[in-house]
Amino acid sequence: MDLHEVERLLEKYWQTETTLEEEQQLRAFFTSGQVPDSLKDAAALFAFFQKEKSKGLEQNFESTVTNKLKSRHRGKLISMIGFGNMARIAAGIVVVVASTFLIRQEIRKRYPAEMQDTFTDPQLAFEETKRALQMISDSFDKAKKEASKVQLLNEAEKKIQAKKEGDKINL
Amino acid sequence: MTLEAFQNMVFPVKNKLYRFAFRLLGNNEEARDVVQEVMIKVWSGREQLGRVHNLEAWCMRITKNLSLDRLRQQQRRPTDSLDQGMHVVHHSLTPADAAELGERMERISKWMAELPEKQRQVMHLRDIEGYSYNEICEILELDMSQVKVYLFRARNAVREKLLKTDAYGLA
Repeated sequence: MDLHEVERLLEKYWQTETTLEEEQQLRAFFTSGQVPDSLKDAAALFAFFQKEKSKGLEQNFESTVTNKLKSRHRGKLISMIGFGNMARIAAGIVVVVASTFLIRQEIRKRYPAEMQDTFTDPQLAFEETKRALQMISDSFDKAKKEASKVQLLNEAEKKIQAKKEGDKINL
Repeated sequence: MTLEAFQNMVFPVKNKLYRFAFRLLGNNEEARDVVQEVMIKVWSGREQLGRVHNLEAWCMRITKNLSLDRLRQQQRRPTDSLDQGMHVVHHSLTPADAAELGERMERISKWMAELPEKQRQVMHLRDIEGYSYNEICEILELDMSQVKVYLFRARNAVREKLLKTDAYGLA
């Protein structure tokens, strides 16, 4: 590539107008070693780019990463995650059950349940029980009477129905 | 996907990933860790690889994101150990010329490290790795005009410094 063409491409390069191919041409020219003094700066720039591109990771990097990936593969990450979640849920249940039990125990200790008689005289207690049962019995009777009204209504409805059917036959 | 298929698809880009991580982090060990992390991430999500249009660009994007996450966590700029010495092997150069070229390249390395983050990323992807503008857009999640503006600014920042150094001998 002649010097004039190099200068033209270099100007395009500074203006960010070069294509990748043109930049490749410049790179090839400047790293060839045949560079005039007037273009030493640009030569240093392209030599820097080339030098940077030659940097890389050490040889054992791939084997290190492969071992890490293999250990992940073998370890079945998903099942570990599943186990972890199950363990967390189980721990949560244990905590809830244990705390409920302890709180209940504590409440029982502080407030013991006491059975208290309401009557001292057995005769009085008997009378009171009888009165309560009588009240329930009265309520049952009352409910039965109300229910018989419903029965009356049902019978009336049946009669009306029968009459309607008789009228239809006559017609 | 088998481990072997994965290795054949992803391992060939490992050096590109490393160089990009190194450009962003400026630290060899961290760049290496990031590439390992990328490989593990891609392996873990291998079931979704069928949906990835450009695997290399996707891996580069993950590398960028992981590297920037690390930088954010540490809240630092990647200038620590970028300067690793530029030993030039040009058989056609005299030792004096090679030393001079090495010095220029070291200065360029320093200037590139000082560029704003996006400019540095775009310049690395275009001038060192030789990616097309479309690929750079995909990796950096930028639109075409933004990529071109960043590249123009980066190249011109370096050019200005080269001109200043030539005119006044300033580094």
